[in-house]
Amino acid sequence: MTESPETTRPDANLGLDGVPHTGETMTSDGHLVEPQSEEFGHARSAPKAPQWYKTAVFYEVLVRAFNDFTNDGTGDLRGLADKLDYLQWLGIDCLWLPPFYASPLRDGGYDISDFRAVLPEFGTVEDFVHLLDQAHKRGIRVITDLVLNHTSDAHPWFQESRNHPDGPYGDYYVWSDTDERYADARIIFVDTESSNWTYDPVRGQFYWHRFFSHQPDLNYENPEVADAMIDVLRFWLDLGIDGFRLDAVPYLFEEEGTNCENLPRTHEFLKRCRKVVDDEFPGRVLLAEANQWPADVVAYFGDPDTGGDECHMAFHFPLMPRIFMAVRRESRFPISEILAQTPPIPSAAQWGIFLRNHDELTLEMVTDDERDYMYAEYAKDPRMKANIGIRRRLAPLLDNDANQMELFTAMLLSLPGSPVLYYGDEIGMGDNIWLGDRDAVRTPMQWSPDRNAGFSRCDPGRIYLPVIADPVYGYQAVNVEAQLNNSSSLLHWTRRMLQVRREHPAFGLGDFVELGSSNPSVLAYLRHVPADPEHGVHEDLVICVNNLSRFPQPVELNLSEHEGRVPVELTGGVRFPPIGELPYLLTLPGHGFYWFQLTTDLDEG
Amino acid sequence: MIRPEDLGDGLLNWMLDQRWFRAKARGASSLRTRRAAALDGELVHTLVEVDGELYQLPLGVRDHVPDNLEHAVITRRGDQAVYDATQDPELMSRLLTLIADDATVEGLRFTPENGVNLERGLRARPIGVEQSNTSIVFGDKYILKLYRQPEPGPNRDVDLHRALRAAGAKHIAAPLGVITDGDIVLGFLQEFLSNAVEGWATATASVRDLLAEGDLHADEVGGDFAGEAHRLGTAVAQVHTALAAASGTASATPEQISAEVDAMHGRLDTALAEVPQLAEDESLLRSAFDALRTLGAPLTVQQIHADLHLGQVLRTNDGWVLIDFEGEPAATPDQRRATRSPLRDVAGMLRSFDYAAFHLLAGDEADRQQTARAEEWSDRNRNAFCDGYAKVAEDPRTQETILRALELDKAVYEVRYEYHNRPDWLPIPLAAIRRWRPENR
Repeated sequence: MTESPETTRPDANLGLDGVPHTGETMTSDGHLVEPQSEEFGHARSAPKAPQWYKTAVFYEVLVRAFNDFTNDGTGDLRGLADKLDYLQWLGIDCLWLPPFYASPLRDGGYDISDFRAVLPEFGTVEDFVHLLDQAHKRGIRVITDLVLNHTSDAHPWFQESRNHPDGPYGDYYVWSDTDERYADARIIFVDTESSNWTYDPVRGQFYWHRFFSHQPDLNYENPEVADAMIDVLRFWLDLGIDGFRLDAVPYLFEEEGTNCENLPRTHEFLKRCRKVVDDEFPGRVLLAEANQWPADVVAYFGDPDTGGDECHMAFHFPLMPRIFMAVRRESRFPISEILAQTPPIPSAAQWGIFLRNHDELTLEMVTDDERDYMYAEYAKDPRMKANIGIRRRLAPLLDNDANQMELFTAMLLSLPGSPVLYYGDEIGMGDNIWLGDRDAVRTPMQWSPDRNAGFSRCDPGRIYLPVIADPVYGYQAVNVEAQLNNSSSLLHWTRRMLQVRREHPAFGLGDFVELGSSNPSVLAYLRHVPADPEHGVHEDLVICVNNLSRFPQPVELNLSEHEGRVPVELTGGVRFPPIGELPYLLTLPGHGFYWFQLTTDLDEG
Repeated sequence: MIRPEDLGDGLLNWMLDQRWFRAKARGASSLRTRRAAALDGELVHTLVEVDGELYQLPLGVRDHVPDNLEHAVITRRGDQAVYDATQDPELMSRLLTLIADDATVEGLRFTPENGVNLERGLRARPIGVEQSNTSIVFGDKYILKLYRQPEPGPNRDVDLHRALRAAGAKHIAAPLGVITDGDIVLGFLQEFLSNAVEGWATATASVRDLLAEGDLHADEVGGDFAGEAHRLGTAVAQVHTALAAASGTASATPEQISAEVDAMHGRLDTALAEVPQLAEDESLLRSAFDALRTLGAPLTVQQIHADLHLGQVLRTNDGWVLIDFEGEPAATPDQRRATRSPLRDVAGMLRSFDYAAFHLLAGDEADRQQTARAEEWSDRNRNAFCDGYAKVAEDPRTQETILRALELDKAVYEVRYEYHNRPDWLPIPLAAIRRWRPENR
């Protein structure tokens, strides 16, 4: 890396001239001046509900991919704000936005070059406040990713650190004269990186990076770094944001002789973040991204005796590939097993679960055999394999089979955890595996059969990624407008299921008890919230029965504990025969499912 | 108190209809009460002898039998109905309480296993029809197996479970308590695996998936079972290792081997006399059995499961569990206690995979494509099972001579059984024997 003298200005690589940003000016003692929240407007508050995240349905949307307000071919924050009515109609409770910060975009925006500025293509901090305000007006919350572990090498902090080893930022990153420390830490991006250390000729030292070499790790040993990152949290929370998905949390600290993951000091720092949220911004959430086994991830919820004092939520990664595997195997055990291995979580904590997201289908959490199997089943074309995953959207993964899409979504909405939908999956959008990296699943949202799928009015050649145009999944066949006009569409079905879910607290708050049966192809479970008259909570007892086989199946459930109750099917309200002493017999069509509430009132109406 | 012989022919007639009643083929004549113990007013525990065979009959006695117990009524005596108490949740839950209490009532001992604290008051429910026992589940936590034909002396099922438990074996259902009368074990309480599915059901779901495809191979279909078969092999090997650790191993003497080979020939003689289709393969079978006489290496024997097949293993959410260590149903108590080669269990399981593969085709005209697929499934999962077994113990395939003889012996038994009971299924074991012909190897 060579630097010419004129680019040593710390904000030179930001591309933020004319908008407030970090390092616009410097104090006399060499500190970078950073934008403050008071310099911007603030969004109105979301309705008060301390544990909203336990019953919420999340919707992951890429700002770039959703709606283009400025007609420059790239989606933006204003464009997203214009589509909030649609999201409210659909029944979404919270948007999750991957990073929209200033970034050289060498890692999809996870390489942040200024924590306090918005990527200019997406708009400005004011545009974000506008989005937040309009979302809160509709009862929708917004969270975003925040990368605590590292910055882009274009961040002014890093520029100062490499150029002025003795300045205030000299110790902001993990520098070393050798590349031999922390040898037990694995290399995460095995395809592209050969070491966790890279030599910087400017400073003449190696710097530590767990991810790409253009993403130096912050040095949390330095208390100033920890303070600076806490202040980044405060900046956005002041503006009104509802929480953060904390990216790559296991890697904050390093320690010789360890694998440098999940170290105790990392947890101490998260406790500190949580305390800031609880004390200064109650009702906001922290969601941990830790792609690990559930038994290890629970540590990120913190101390169960306090109800949890680190992150409010964490993603349950291994569940997702196992849902796919279970349906392909027509056996409930891949799912049953991982749920049986999932430990209890603190009272205020909640899992986040998903079928697909902007990353590939993550296969780190399956065994080697299972991974081979998943590749064989779901990635018959070698281009579909990336890193250790599969880059497909839900509909093509399921061969566009409506029954399976409904079954998968029904499981997502009823298994323990808050479901996270991925934009476009509600209409069964396809992917384009010929696009590079992980762009296959990041193509423009398909709003209508108009030019550019209604996403943008720009010249089609200018669009950031081509819209899907194949005959099966192309925007002329698959789009929001057409599905809005068709009441039997996947979109209407999804909306209806979200409504049903909202009416039943058992899905978000209930215990999970698997109901075994002698049929290995049927996954049945009970979700239960006991009555709590003091808090005006009625009992809610829901039973979910899923046929993982493509063939019709009978199942006998032992429900004798609920003898006398009447199952009422939740989507249609049809009353089924009361439960007796003998096993309860149900028959399900191939890939069929039922949701029942078990009611105690025997009378009609 | 009710005494069984006072119930007249009603009781005997009822027993004749029960699946666990063995003497039915001979037509039973006399019934004698060995003992009758009033456990409390409505529950009378009785042991009766029919033609010298001992049976356990827990009886309920009520003035008014509720509708849901009407099906269990055996006979009426005056105003009172006498019924099968195993069908009455209320009476059965009293048995659990007695075990939890470590109680002794009229000489019957109800004993929890050491260190076990049982939850009381769980709802009882009888479960489906069984061959030789009647089982009651308590609140999805415990299962009580009542031996309908209890035998004096050591109970293999209980003893092996205890030995395995003491050895820390994982793949079993924990023993929790027993009901005994002197040296007779009447009931065995164990952990109930409520989320478990029988191995047969999981395996046949996979076969069903394969046969629905037609154009895909066994290793290509979604329902591939090889991973499960592999884990099952490992579980069986771990149970064998634990049994060996608990009760030791020995080398079979030449006399023992010779006697076993003679027994195999004897079973073949019987089958040949009854099933004409077996004749073509007589020499193949005899030479496979005789090969055991000249092994050249010691034959290790130990305690084994002895009746292992896919119906005796359960897939739970944490893996496979082996159940029912009673031994072969038809064997005498002495035979059941004898040590055997662990390969006998392996052979039983391998035969069971073969059955799982072909049972959907039974009775249909042979379809070459489907037969080839079923063979693929059988080969793939038999090998996966052995691979899994070999992770813990010696690969069974390295002892081919023994394994072949044991599998063929089992297949001869199956041929006879199917010939008499399910002629449609006869081709399954016959085809298995024919696959050992030199031209098919």
